[in-house]
Amino acid sequence: MDLPSHVDPTTFATVRSCFAEALGLDDDEVEYDSKIIDDLGAESLDLLDIVYRLERAFDIRIPRGGIEKVTREGLEKGDVYEVNGVLTELALEKLAAAMPEVPREEFRPGLKASEVPFLFRVATFYGLVVTLLEEGKQG
Amino acid sequence: MRRAPDARFVFLVHPFTDPVRRIAALRSARPALGLRRRREPVLDDARPICRLVLELPDRLVEGVIVTVPILPHDLLDDQEAALAMMRAAVARAGGAVDVVGLGSLLAVVAGRGTALQRQLWQPVTTGAAASAWAAAENAKAAAQGLGRWPGGPIAVLGHRGTVGSAVIELLRLDGAERIHVTARAGQARRARKQGLEPFEDHADTVRGCPVIVGASTTGGILDPGAVERGAVLVDVAIPRTLSGLPRRGTRVLAGEAVVPPPSYRKGRWGSLYHLLAGYGPEHLFACLAEPMIMAAEGRTRPFAQGRRVAIEDLRDIRRLAPALGFRPVLASRWRTVPPERLRPLPS
Repeated sequence: MDLPSHVDPTTFATVRSCFAEALGLDDDEVEYDSKIIDDLGAESLDLLDIVYRLERAFDIRIPRGGIEKVTREGLEKGDVYEVNGVLTELALEKLAAAMPEVPREEFRPGLKASEVPFLFRVATFYGLVVTLLEEGKQG
Repeated sequence: MRRAPDARFVFLVHPFTDPVRRIAALRSARPALGLRRRREPVLDDARPICRLVLELPDRLVEGVIVTVPILPHDLLDDQEAALAMMRAAVARAGGAVDVVGLGSLLAVVAGRGTALQRQLWQPVTTGAAASAWAAAENAKAAAQGLGRWPGGPIAVLGHRGTVGSAVIELLRLDGAERIHVTARAGQARRARKQGLEPFEDHADTVRGCPVIVGASTTGGILDPGAVERGAVLVDVAIPRTLSGLPRRGTRVLAGEAVVPPPSYRKGRWGSLYHLLAGYGPEHLFACLAEPMIMAAEGRTRPFAQGRRVAIEDLRDIRRLAPALGFRPVLASRWRTVPPERLRPLPS
């Protein structure tokens, strides 16, 4: 599959290798838009391993709960992110903005916070790595 | 006078809760350290909490359990810091160490033992081979107890994980005929190629299975209602597999409980550790047996490190562990459950 034009092939190749090594897959089984859990068969502790490999490969620090943390940082005082584990409309909006690679319809009402990892694509982590690398350049 | 050991291993663990961390601190010469509330753990706060001994006819094996001072969420936050603490903890074992074993989350962070191995000369082993061996043996015993071996089918949840994939290898070595797994899309094709029977969700995967092996690391993935009456869940997963309490007529048994050889001695602090770690007085979890077996055998190749356990290492552990006297056991709340008692339960 061809990569979107904004994706740097060298960076993606390293991201792909990290996923392949962590999940015991061949590199070509890991695609830019692969779903990490449903397509690649990752489990929660695999995410830990993936994060560790990405941190080492790119010399970055990925905050735990990286994506969710980014979205929560945008919350105003008094904003509610979840009620009884179910994401609010506001949270869904922020997550959708933070994960443009995920089709909008997947941020459906009633989505639980615990289901967010099922939305993650390889592209999600690629985006996170690029953001952190850019932040690192800016000091 | 205490006899000098022929081989020594260290088993690194972390406390699950703050109170446990404080109890562990009682083993320190400066217990106040452990009682002080501190947000930033200090590297050299790793400390030995008990000594274990395995006395074989021709060898004395000594083990030291050393706890790193941080709780799980801190470990997950900074894996490089966790790695540094593990390395410091090995140095706190006192004296020469021949084998390093990793317990619970320490077996997963920093590349599942691989990063620590690059910093140490001693073999580092994660416990996954012994855990898989115990879970597979226990699943087989349960299926036999229910009169459903080898036809099963047996469901393995978490089949792509380190322990889950190793359990499948071992069940197949023993002749299991049908293994159900949960896999979608490309993963389902891959599973079929491997001779497994894939289903789209866990409830479908366990349907009709008298024995289920829970080996997923995600936790809470299976609705208790999906487990059929009379079925046995052999659970090796942490957090546990069921999303709620098991329903009546089903059984959940510890997946990686083993009975140690009669010559295993744990002393007073070791007995306390057995309780804190959830082993109970008579059993231990197989992951602790793994470095013990390595030390006893003078083995330098880890049984398990990284994501995959090699088939030759699985063959080795299923041969060596029973030869040394380790025996997998079906257990519930620290009590042994004989397989012959596993007849389908009344509803």
